[in-house]
Amino acid sequence: MNKPLIEARDLVLKVPVIKPNERKLLSNPSSLLKDFYLSKTQRRHMTLVDNVSLTLTQGMRLGLMGANGAGKSTLLRLLAGIYHPTTGSLKVNGSAKGLFDVSLGMHPEATGLENIYMRGLQMGLSLQEIKSLIPEVVAFAELEQDIDKPFATYSAGMKLRLAVSISTMIEPDILLLDEWVGAGDVRFRQKVTERMNRLVLQSRGLVLATHSSSLMRKVCTHAMVMDKGRVIFQGELAEAEEFYKTFLKARDAEPLKPAEC
Amino acid sequence: MHSLKNIAYLTFIDFLIRYRRTALGPLWLLVGPGLFIFFLGSLFSRVSNIDASIFIPHLTIGLIFWTLIQGFVTNSTTVFQRARPQILQQGMQLKDIIVMDMGTTLLQFLHQLVLIFVVMIYYQTPITLFAFTSLLGLAIMIANGYWISILFGIIGARYRDLTEITQALMRIAFLATPIIWMPGDLSKGDALSPYLMLNPFYHFMEIVRAPLLNQPISLISWAIVLTITILGLVTAHFFYGRYHKRVPLWV
Repeated sequence: MNKPLIEARDLVLKVPVIKPNERKLLSNPSSLLKDFYLSKTQRRHMTLVDNVSLTLTQGMRLGLMGANGAGKSTLLRLLAGIYHPTTGSLKVNGSAKGLFDVSLGMHPEATGLENIYMRGLQMGLSLQEIKSLIPEVVAFAELEQDIDKPFATYSAGMKLRLAVSISTMIEPDILLLDEWVGAGDVRFRQKVTERMNRLVLQSRGLVLATHSSSLMRKVCTHAMVMDKGRVIFQGELAEAEEFYKTFLKARDAEPLKPAEC
Repeated sequence: MHSLKNIAYLTFIDFLIRYRRTALGPLWLLVGPGLFIFFLGSLFSRVSNIDASIFIPHLTIGLIFWTLIQGFVTNSTTVFQRARPQILQQGMQLKDIIVMDMGTTLLQFLHQLVLIFVVMIYYQTPITLFAFTSLLGLAIMIANGYWISILFGIIGARYRDLTEITQALMRIAFLATPIIWMPGDLSKGDALSPYLMLNPFYHFMEIVRAPLLNQPISLISWAIVLTITILGLVTAHFFYGRYHKRVPLWV
């Protein structure tokens, strides 16, 4: 019973990156044509997640800190089982579900109702389960009037409300969050916050990647600081925050290098 | 892994939505090949000097099964790219995605099957028990569609060139396979035989079409088809094991 929810050892994810050769467009325009037809590209391997080990125990709520591109979202996708590690081992006891990009995968030609069915079936729910969830999903998205209209005809706010409502309709065991889900007008945002808090409370464990330190303080018990795919600190939230602050200060003190990409 | 029930529902919903904004709906699937057979059937039967009652059933069955083969092959190269959200957000299994995609192609085929029945009834093509061998042929075709989807799907996710190549090759294969023409009499058949023997599509076509036209299937065709099926499935199995983990990074 007291097995850790997630146990990751030395996770490494290497990704092939295809990069076109440098083009000196102005001085040598013909090279563009040559590259286009002969497709001279470089293929390199980039390490997005480098030797990450972590243990998520029962009731632990882990926050991921780090600059953009530090590997937080990639790590979450690894934990969700979407990406597979190049090397290293990952054991997940329970169902780890991620809320990454909630509006991805909605079908524009299908009605709101059909979208609920499709997303539900894709999540692996049975038809009966989906049917019983529908009233709540529709009510939460406040789309009682428009649920039979095609998704493409919805306003941006309606689209987002439905997407959030569908994505949060089942309560995962282990919750993986890439930034807090928040959307719409003030009133709806409040509802979403309430629902998210409920999801957090009902999950047995949570990993949250966010830039907001106030949110992290509210939700997390532990934290991990990442930089360039590596874990540079792991521990209690307060210590991690302290470490991250000094780390940022030290980094800012260094003279700015030309940006690499 | 999803239950087969979920995959079937998803395939159906997807199929229904696809034709929603058309007036004829899935009946459009019949219009394309229907017009083809109506206009080109009598023309080609005259060009090749074969009676319409023999040529048009040959053309119809060939065309409909060709559409199925072509659907499997051309869809396979983009099967994972098209399901990007399902892979990256929903975490759906790659094999489930393949089954869904093949299910859609099969549903289209089932609609077009009506044309075969209509033509065979109209020309009173005799049906014998042997005709049911065609169902076995269809099952073998589906098995081949499965390994092609795995193999081409993975390669196609990494090298987008594959889509272009298969499209070009399938057009040639369509004309090289006896669909809009017939192999003809024996003397001509000899000259043609290397073209037919080396064309795998010819053998696949034979195992589904010959039974319906009450013609014998040569043992060579069975041997070639079964060899391709087994080799393909084995190759795809190992290929999947080795490369499927990289597909989410490629799509």
